[in-house]
Amino acid sequence: MNDLLPNLPWSVLFLPLLSAVAIALFTKKNRGLSAGISIGAIVISFLLSAFLFFQYRDAKQIPDTVLSWVSVGNLSVDIGIKLDSLSLLMLLIVTGVGSAIHIYSWGYMHEDRAVSRYFASLSLFTFSMLGIVLATNFFQMFIFWELVGVSSYLLIGFWYERASAADAAKKAFITNRLGDFGFLIGIIMVWALAGSLSFGTLQESFKANPQILGASATLAGLLIFCGAMGKSAQFPLHVWLPDAMEGPTPVSALIHAATMVAAGVYMLCRVFFLFNLPALEIISWIGGFTALLAAVIAVQQNDIKRILAYSTLSQLGYMVMAVGVGGPAAAMFHLTTHAFFKALLFLGAGSVIHALHHEQDIWKMGALKKKMPVTFWTFLIGTLALAGIPPFSGFYSKDAVLAAAFEHNAILFIVATLVAALTAFYMFRLFFVAFLGAPKSDASDHAHESPKIMTMPLQILAVLAVIGGLIGIDTFIGKTFQPEAHAVHFAERFLAPFGHAPMAALFGILASVIGFSIAWSLYANASCDPLPEKLGVLSRAMRNKFYFDEIYSGLIAITHEAASRLADFIDRWIVAGLMVRGAHGTTELFGRALRLVQTGNLQIYAFLFVAGVAVVLYFVLFRS
Amino acid sequence: MNSILTYIILAPLIGALVVLLVPRNFRFIIRGIAQAATLISMVLAIKMFFFDFTTNFPREQLTEKIQWVASLGINYHVGVDGLNVGLILMGAIVAFAAVCVSHNIKTYEKEFYILLLVMTGGILGAFASLDLFFFYFFHELALVPTFIMIGVWGRGENKNYATFQITLYLSIGALLALVGLIALYLQLPLGNRTFNIIELTKYFKAQPMNLAAQQFIFPLLLFGFGILVSLWPFHTWAPLGYGSAPSATAMLHAGVLKKFGLYGLIRIALPLMPDASQSWLHVLAVLCLGNIVYCGFVAMRQRDLNLLIGNSSVAHMGFCFLGIASLTLIGITGAVTVMVAHGLLAALTFALSGYIYQQTGTLDIRQMGGLLRQIPFIGAALVMAAMAGCGLPGFANFPGEALVLFGAWKAFPLVTALAVWGALVIGAVYMLRAVRNILHGPMAANQTPIADASLLRKLPYALLLATLLLFGFVPSLLTDKIKPSAQSIVEMATRPLKIQKMEKDSSATAPRAAVK
Repeated sequence: MNDLLPNLPWSVLFLPLLSAVAIALFTKKNRGLSAGISIGAIVISFLLSAFLFFQYRDAKQIPDTVLSWVSVGNLSVDIGIKLDSLSLLMLLIVTGVGSAIHIYSWGYMHEDRAVSRYFASLSLFTFSMLGIVLATNFFQMFIFWELVGVSSYLLIGFWYERASAADAAKKAFITNRLGDFGFLIGIIMVWALAGSLSFGTLQESFKANPQILGASATLAGLLIFCGAMGKSAQFPLHVWLPDAMEGPTPVSALIHAATMVAAGVYMLCRVFFLFNLPALEIISWIGGFTALLAAVIAVQQNDIKRILAYSTLSQLGYMVMAVGVGGPAAAMFHLTTHAFFKALLFLGAGSVIHALHHEQDIWKMGALKKKMPVTFWTFLIGTLALAGIPPFSGFYSKDAVLAAAFEHNAILFIVATLVAALTAFYMFRLFFVAFLGAPKSDASDHAHESPKIMTMPLQILAVLAVIGGLIGIDTFIGKTFQPEAHAVHFAERFLAPFGHAPMAALFGILASVIGFSIAWSLYANASCDPLPEKLGVLSRAMRNKFYFDEIYSGLIAITHEAASRLADFIDRWIVAGLMVRGAHGTTELFGRALRLVQTGNLQIYAFLFVAGVAVVLYFVLFRS
Repeated sequence: MNSILTYIILAPLIGALVVLLVPRNFRFIIRGIAQAATLISMVLAIKMFFFDFTTNFPREQLTEKIQWVASLGINYHVGVDGLNVGLILMGAIVAFAAVCVSHNIKTYEKEFYILLLVMTGGILGAFASLDLFFFYFFHELALVPTFIMIGVWGRGENKNYATFQITLYLSIGALLALVGLIALYLQLPLGNRTFNIIELTKYFKAQPMNLAAQQFIFPLLLFGFGILVSLWPFHTWAPLGYGSAPSATAMLHAGVLKKFGLYGLIRIALPLMPDASQSWLHVLAVLCLGNIVYCGFVAMRQRDLNLLIGNSSVAHMGFCFLGIASLTLIGITGAVTVMVAHGLLAALTFALSGYIYQQTGTLDIRQMGGLLRQIPFIGAALVMAAMAGCGLPGFANFPGEALVLFGAWKAFPLVTALAVWGALVIGAVYMLRAVRNILHGPMAANQTPIADASLLRKLPYALLLATLLLFGFVPSLLTDKIKPSAQSIVEMATRPLKIQKMEKDSSATAPRAAVK
């Protein structure tokens, strides 16, 4: 058994890769088998992760296992396994929520002709994500960071024949690459200044000498943060996430709830020791701003998946803000509960979309309570959790974030409370319109509950969304950042928020209640949206996402595209044209001119010869 | 005949001779011979790389020396160390793949395969040679068939102009390098003159070349070799030439032969002329941005797939130049890794574009669309190539480019930052744009049905991809071999600057101490 233990994390990591390779090479024709391999791989990964979790739950320090990947000079890169409470928790989330989504996918996707490709990409994605979670060093993280980027590209663009999906995939990849640009430079900088890439070694050198990055500490920190800005879709790189809803709905649940977008926050928590105060300050403001911006936009979206997408953005802003105000434990806590309830909400939305034959407009749904009871109740649970109603999981984690903000930054606390109210508002708007009231289209009139394979994962996630705040995730993760934190009894946990930061808890609940009430007054039994009339121009701006896409494409056109046009012009006309053709042309001109002399006419030759002799004679005789 | 290298070089050359003797209507046999010759060469190269080569051996190995012209000191002298072992392996694999994808050549087949085999032998010989004369001779042996092949079997309206330009350009580059190499040879005292690169290196290590000579010879080699590698702004021949070349020629030239210039810079220019290197490398660092950023931008605007690939190949050369300019162990190791990786990648992309051209009859990106459904294998390979081209981990290009960037950071932080932009952003933009336009989206309206590669035809693509993935997953296979050789190059090239020392000395003693 002891010999086996060090190999287990490697199996967790590589099983999904094996599955992806096996599907791509051998079982492409057999759809059921492909799905089976992929689901089997992640479920086994999950079981192994759970085993590892219970094995190492109370361990103080687990040494990294590493394999040398490349080592040249003073740059040595390992691929390894880092197990601590942070990665153990994240392993469980990725494989656990991932398993639910994989299983659900078979129900949702089994009629698609390319289902094998779908499951291969899903497995590749899981592998990449697990690589980030288990990374022992920056380089490994960057490698898997990129792989997550490409597997999300494959998944978002799964229906590549739809132009919108192909464009969304491209946009997601390139936007992420913008973030990675900063991330890689940041990594190189940290390596050059601190002399190591390994998180463990870096953490120790930072402990020994907090000023090790010197004057560039803030810059390096912000560059590293750029990576998170891309993956976790923070302003100004948030634009890819809503578009990425073009992928199949289970993909949205996987990428946009449990895994990819969580990678940025996870990375920030992993290297939290590296950020100095000015950097954290900026990070917290970016997070807060993203939370508010996305929440405002979400209020006026009508596509069920887009509402959830903006809500994801907003919640990610929360997490990033929590990191910025010095609460990485709160961020990880919220990340975990968010993974539960957001995956639940996405899968619930998928169930509705499936039942309504790919209808995504909430104004064409309605009256689903009787027809889709499981989806209805589980979606309600997800909504309550996201809105932060006690005792659902979202309340506790959101409270942790609010409490962290309350301690450090009053303005951000107010922003966060406002966002909480908006969250409750847009989620209940979605819920009332899509699930209650009268049926608003034929499709919703004839909807049926989804098959068991889809509702089962919903039920499991719903349980987690209810109890997620109470099972001790916060104390477990708190150990990483505050080793002295003590275990709390279950009953105490129930009321804990009111104990340590009563103001934050009260404001949080108040905000949720206000949001709920406004949504109730506006949308209970509404058949069309009353807000556009009341808000006018603002509503249109919100619906159009404050025109970020338009502004960005304008910006790209006058910078990158213009540079490209200019380079092409110079290349075509100046370098290749004027210089190369010019040199060639001048040579040719000389050649042609000289050719004129070579007439082949003997008399002319004789004449030239005599003329030459005459010139020579002239110089010799008369000029000397 | 006791070095495996000799067999690797001779196999294609003998193959060429045999093809010469076969009547031209035995087309199947001609192709079979070419395939067999390159296969032998490849298998031997694989054996050499994985089994015969000793990784922790700091000097050249598997050498063989046969005297040729004793009075001038010219010998047939081959051997490998970390710098060329990967290149030879890569060259042999690409050559095999190039023969595989040439099945669509239907005119003058006999001549085509003779030239292809001569080119292959020349390339492999140039990389294996430790004798300056053969080093250059083999390169010319490979270069001349390139011109002929583009001129005769090329495609497109610009074929003639492209042939013309590539011939002139590369001849000028080769000529500059030749002048430099001869000048280098003349720097040796009369009794000691040798073409042996090892001896040369030893000699100049003991007795550094005088500064004036270094300052004269280094730029000749830098720009001579630079032109051969499409150093900005001497790059315009490359996209144009590759755009018109038949696939096999483009694969061999862009993939393998082009690396000759880089190899020459690393093997000869850097260690022999350390002072001049150090004073010129800033120039190189700036010029490499021309490749990485500027040509990346140019690639973004291309509508012809081959021009796009050609420009991207020029852009990738920038990373090699940056690694060389960094003059660090990490940077040089990275540069050599990129050379190997890019060779495989360039061959793969040109082979794929050749396949697509053959099927659709066009390379205009705007006229294609949604091809992935019809050609899932070729399409998937193209997506992978595009991803490798924008530096995705898992492919060999990533570790190489990453090493270059890490190695160059300290010397040129700004250049490195811009190079990161080129690698991560610009590369992604043009590669994904190509994928989006060719493979994704709805099918083009006038699209005729096209066929995916059959099982046998998949072989060359699968082979190149597998090699890229192998070195991408286990880059230490390459880097551990390159490291010791790169180390000795860096040690020789970074000896303390003689110029500064001289200046100090001269200011201390005689103010006008002539630099002699």
